[in-house]
Amino acid sequence: MIRGAFGPFTAWVTVHPIASFVVFFAIFPFIAPYQALATQVLIFGLFALGFNLLYGYTGLLSFGHAAYYGLGAYGAGLALAKLKVTSLWLALGIGLGAAVVGGALVGFFCLRRRGIYFAMLTLAFAQMLYFIAFHAADLTGGDDGLRGIPLLPLSLFGVSVSLRHPLAFYYFAYVLVVPAVAGLKRILDSPFGAVLRAIRENSDRAVACGYDINRVKLLSFVFSALFTGLAGALDALRLTVVPVESLYWSTSGQVVIMTLLGGAGTFFGPFVGAATYLVLADRLSLFIEAWPLVIGVIFMAFVLFLPRGIWGTLTSRGIGS
Amino acid sequence: MHRRGFLTTTAAGVTLLAFPAVLRAQSKEPIRIGFPLPLTGTFAAIAADLQKGAQLAVEEINAKGGVMGRKLEVLFRDDELKPAVGAQRTKELIENQKVDFVVGGLAAHVQMAINEQTKAAKKLYISVSQSDEISAKPDTSPLTFHEALNPTITSRAMATYGMQNIGKKWWVVYADYAWGKQNNVVFNAAIAKLGGTVLGSTPYPLGKPEFSAHLPKIQAAKPDAIYAVTPGADNVPFLKQAISFGLKKDAKIAQPLHFLYYTKEGGAEVFQDIYGATHFCHELAETLPQAKRYVEAFTKRFNQPPDAYSGYGFNGIHEVARGVELAKSTDSDAVANALRKNREYDHYKGKQWWRACDNKSFQDLWIIRVRSPQQVKGEWGLFDVIGKVAANEELDRTCAEKGHA
Repeated sequence: MIRGAFGPFTAWVTVHPIASFVVFFAIFPFIAPYQALATQVLIFGLFALGFNLLYGYTGLLSFGHAAYYGLGAYGAGLALAKLKVTSLWLALGIGLGAAVVGGALVGFFCLRRRGIYFAMLTLAFAQMLYFIAFHAADLTGGDDGLRGIPLLPLSLFGVSVSLRHPLAFYYFAYVLVVPAVAGLKRILDSPFGAVLRAIRENSDRAVACGYDINRVKLLSFVFSALFTGLAGALDALRLTVVPVESLYWSTSGQVVIMTLLGGAGTFFGPFVGAATYLVLADRLSLFIEAWPLVIGVIFMAFVLFLPRGIWGTLTSRGIGS
Repeated sequence: MHRRGFLTTTAAGVTLLAFPAVLRAQSKEPIRIGFPLPLTGTFAAIAADLQKGAQLAVEEINAKGGVMGRKLEVLFRDDELKPAVGAQRTKELIENQKVDFVVGGLAAHVQMAINEQTKAAKKLYISVSQSDEISAKPDTSPLTFHEALNPTITSRAMATYGMQNIGKKWWVVYADYAWGKQNNVVFNAAIAKLGGTVLGSTPYPLGKPEFSAHLPKIQAAKPDAIYAVTPGADNVPFLKQAISFGLKKDAKIAQPLHFLYYTKEGGAEVFQDIYGATHFCHELAETLPQAKRYVEAFTKRFNQPPDAYSGYGFNGIHEVARGVELAKSTDSDAVANALRKNREYDHYKGKQWWRACDNKSFQDLWIIRVRSPQQVKGEWGLFDVIGKVAANEELDRTCAEKGHA
């Protein structure tokens, strides 16, 4: 029934994913409850998309994705608050750089193990970073969070635009997230993307086909950290504060929930999951204190009865994703 | 519960419509105050108390016709005890709900995130969180006011009282996070200055109240008293372990703050004879006429006496209202200037004032001790008020020490 009603819509989106994304998120701030929430959906959607590259497509469950999100956030935040960098672009670059280097290092060590050991190692690295950030209070602000991040105006081709207005910031994030999403799609559609799926389905067979799966996995890890780091850096600019919780395991858990809710291994699933989770949490908490319970029940229902998630279920009728 | 009503809008009760002044106020836009607070999470009970204080203030002000003929409207938002959520909620309140002012933020780290948003939006913010940084540079701003006590004031007051009345040799047990660490540092310095000794300090991870490895070492050092900075849910496990190790018999125990609701939950058997500070307890109604009026109004409205933090919420709303009335404007700068010019206020427990340099509120605080189970009066009479530390700017760091030239 539901699938039938959404059939033509999901089919069109599946055929024209990037165009759909561009159109939908161009008008999203006007249909979302409020702009700050729209921006949050955009940023967390990207975070979940980055996570899904590793989990949904490569089959590697990382429980420590807060690390790259936090590195992106602290990288950009420290550049602006402590290094007094005067370019927004440079700050974003530093955030991305921190996430990529972190991803490469952690990936290098964690990919030596598989399954639960891999998941636990990623969690351990992320928690290590959390404790470093927690205790290096002079640099990171400790548990009070990193404050004093100025929201610099955006300079582009000699023009300076203030990002103070919530819509201005939304579209600033939008012009960065769109190419990231398009880039991710390009990666997944390339032969490299096919190898990722091959590893997910049967890594022994991928080895037998002659692929250096360790290198491919590491590259996938680094790409995942890159997208996640961009999300973190954008969030630091959005909130002008980096809470130490951005490195905490609960942030990693949140992105896993979003991805599974929307549909792991589907392109837009994580985005749909992030939007559903954040909008539900926001609206529900206005009415009931026990809103996490409601989300928990919904999450369990999906895992038990619709394991493909929201987007996965809508697109599962032979249309593919 | 009628949480929906609490959260979406706290307007005056329907009965208030009978008042003509309120009817006139209806024709004008209300003055809106955003109020983020952790309705879910470890501090939910304190947040609920804080919320009730704010609610009572709004109802009282609106019953008298509002401010400048306009009603007050408070929008409560759950910050989930998470800074990112607090920041996001504050953004929503400012950008979409167009609130004129923000009051609230109970945990120090969430309050910091809220403060970043109000500074950027140039809105007056009255923080009700225990924090040293919020009124110091670089975090503070001319629009940032701080109503609550802070670790420096609380621990200096406890050290002073403790040295005179409890003991000279101390041991500190503290939760290893900002508030715990600040209390430890301040208490150590204050005890040393007053000629006492801190024999040792034991940090433990917040939320992991396992002390059995530390307690024998503390016992062996034979301190006169222990300063237990064991907040929230760690409080009862610490005391229970101290009792089972016999430490509570060997040494007296003091803590920076007492909370009525936590003490009642833990029971007088566990909390008996524990010392602590507070900026308010309902027992003050026996001696202070202002407190009597407040406690009676609160108890009538909510069927239970107030805990300490409701006073912060009550004052936060009253101070916004007083500032608007004085400034004849809802402009944040004008209201902030008006409050700094007319520094003194007294809404529920005696005179308080804003220090001009850092917008910090100075107020009396009291030393209380938990009664024995036999002495507890009724359901809620758990505390004996045994000392008063009068409001004094010297208890806090100086303006210069806080970076205000």
